[in-house]
Amino acid sequence: MAARIIRSTMAGTIARLEVASGAAVAKEQPLLYLEVMKMEIAVEAPAAGRVATVHVAAGDLVDEGQVLFTLEV
Amino acid sequence: MADDGWDRELDELRTRRGLAAAMGGPEKVALQIAKGKRTVRDRIAALLDDGSFREIGSIAGSARYGADGALAGFVPSNMLFGRGAIDGRAVVVSGDDFTVRGGAADAAIHEKIVQAEQLANEYRLPLVRLLDGTGGGGSVRTLETTGYTYVPAMPAWDWVVRNLATVPVVALGLGPIAGLGAARLVSSHYSLLLREQGYMFAAGPAVVAAVGPPVTKEELGGAEMHARIGSVDDLAEDEDDAFAKARRFLSYLPPSIDQLPARQPSGDPPSRCEPELDRIVPRDRRQVYKMRRVLEAVVDAGSLFEIGSQWGRASITALARLDGWPVAVIASDPTHYGGAWTADTAQKLVRFVELAETFHLPVVHLVDIPGFLVGVRAEQAGTLRHGARALASVYQATVPWCTVIVRKAYGVAGAGMSNHSRFRYRCAWPSGDWGSLPVEGGLEAAYKAELAAAPDPVARRRQIEQLLNEARSPFRTAERFLVEELIAPRETRPFLCEFANLAAPLRRTGPSAFGMRP
Repeated sequence: MAARIIRSTMAGTIARLEVASGAAVAKEQPLLYLEVMKMEIAVEAPAAGRVATVHVAAGDLVDEGQVLFTLEV
Repeated sequence: MADDGWDRELDELRTRRGLAAAMGGPEKVALQIAKGKRTVRDRIAALLDDGSFREIGSIAGSARYGADGALAGFVPSNMLFGRGAIDGRAVVVSGDDFTVRGGAADAAIHEKIVQAEQLANEYRLPLVRLLDGTGGGGSVRTLETTGYTYVPAMPAWDWVVRNLATVPVVALGLGPIAGLGAARLVSSHYSLLLREQGYMFAAGPAVVAAVGPPVTKEELGGAEMHARIGSVDDLAEDEDDAFAKARRFLSYLPPSIDQLPARQPSGDPPSRCEPELDRIVPRDRRQVYKMRRVLEAVVDAGSLFEIGSQWGRASITALARLDGWPVAVIASDPTHYGGAWTADTAQKLVRFVELAETFHLPVVHLVDIPGFLVGVRAEQAGTLRHGARALASVYQATVPWCTVIVRKAYGVAGAGMSNHSRFRYRCAWPSGDWGSLPVEGGLEAAYKAELAAAPDPVARRRQIEQLLNEARSPFRTAERFLVEELIAPRETRPFLCEFANLAAPLRRTGPSAFGMRP
């Protein structure tokens, strides 16, 4: 098990969270949707694993590079 | 006396070559290997076709002689170069030897660097630089031995700059790289850093700590950081991956600007249609799709080679083949800021269009551009000036250019899909959506007074939006011949393959109007 930090590659607003901490996720499963440029863009799991920590909440403004999740892979 | 010819000299040649092959000696070589790195000689062997390396300057280095005049010690120069072959095509390769003085250059090496660059230029051969070390002045200790200092000059830089406009140059960062080595890494058409081994900085952590707070190697010049900001094009997982990427990159390019990119047999029928594409773009404008999937579906199977995936992400840039012809592919990625041009996306586009123009690659552009990225952050990043540079490179390009509007094309950035004054070899999917400003973004501003005066502003807004959206149909644009052709998405590959075949005889050898810059 290795911890993998998932950062936002974009600045935007968290439209909705798709997973809670503890959730098992598959590779490319959407973890949350960011509202950016009037579109909803998924942040996907880069690998299968388990969500250890969710660092953001729906409605949050996030920056490029901001930590969104810690994933155990 | 029996004449034994030149046997003694031939023995000495073998001895000296043996000494050079020992590189920095067993301890330094063991250290290199313990770090998970190959020696420079093993790297060259792994990169090139088997047994094809012909070294030039194989016994150059610093020798010591005893009182009897016999060779008493030898340190080989720590930059090797020579000729070789990749996939049967001649190339020039140079490699730093980190086991000798950490790859730092000395006077003997400067001339080797010059000769390697010059060989590539005059013989019109692709050049691969394997970088590992500073390749520059070394440390201030040099002063103790030389007893003098010098005005800095860049060895071989005239050739380095000319090569960017003449032959494909690949630079692989396989260790810590600083100073002159860093300049040689980024002054290339395709550069990468090895994950967890490759670092690049103007000056390393020790020097930086002397002028500010301490930093780690990763923070200062880690591979991931440089790939994310685009100072290198790519990352490699290991040395084999780095060499495979170098070979792959070169496979799409001619040996020099004096030749054209070569067609390779393709087992993939140009008429292949992909029904999946008819449904890939969601009807809901708020939802996105995977442009890489579109690319895989339209180019020759297995031919897509993406460059710069970690930066300038709103546009995907890739080399690929269409019916066997090498082409440069640009495609918007709606999953990054909706495909909007950011400052770094524009910088990546400039670099890529110039590569295509330099080496005579026709360009295919799959467009989904909602405009420039907007907002304070985007303005402060200089998006407009970088965007205008990207527009200029598109308008300066003379290579054949084909455009497919997949979805959005808005504003100045959207207009940068192609040079509209050339023949517009273009089509659009029925999901096409274009204009100066998207209705979603411009409605409130344009109808401010009217909405404020309406008894039910929400209902009035919906009414106006519906009216405007009807005018937004791509059929209305096509009936005015403002877009040339609407096609079924599944027919995109045949459309592009026909373009590649028509474009092939139009390609011209020779220098482009501008020389590429790093």
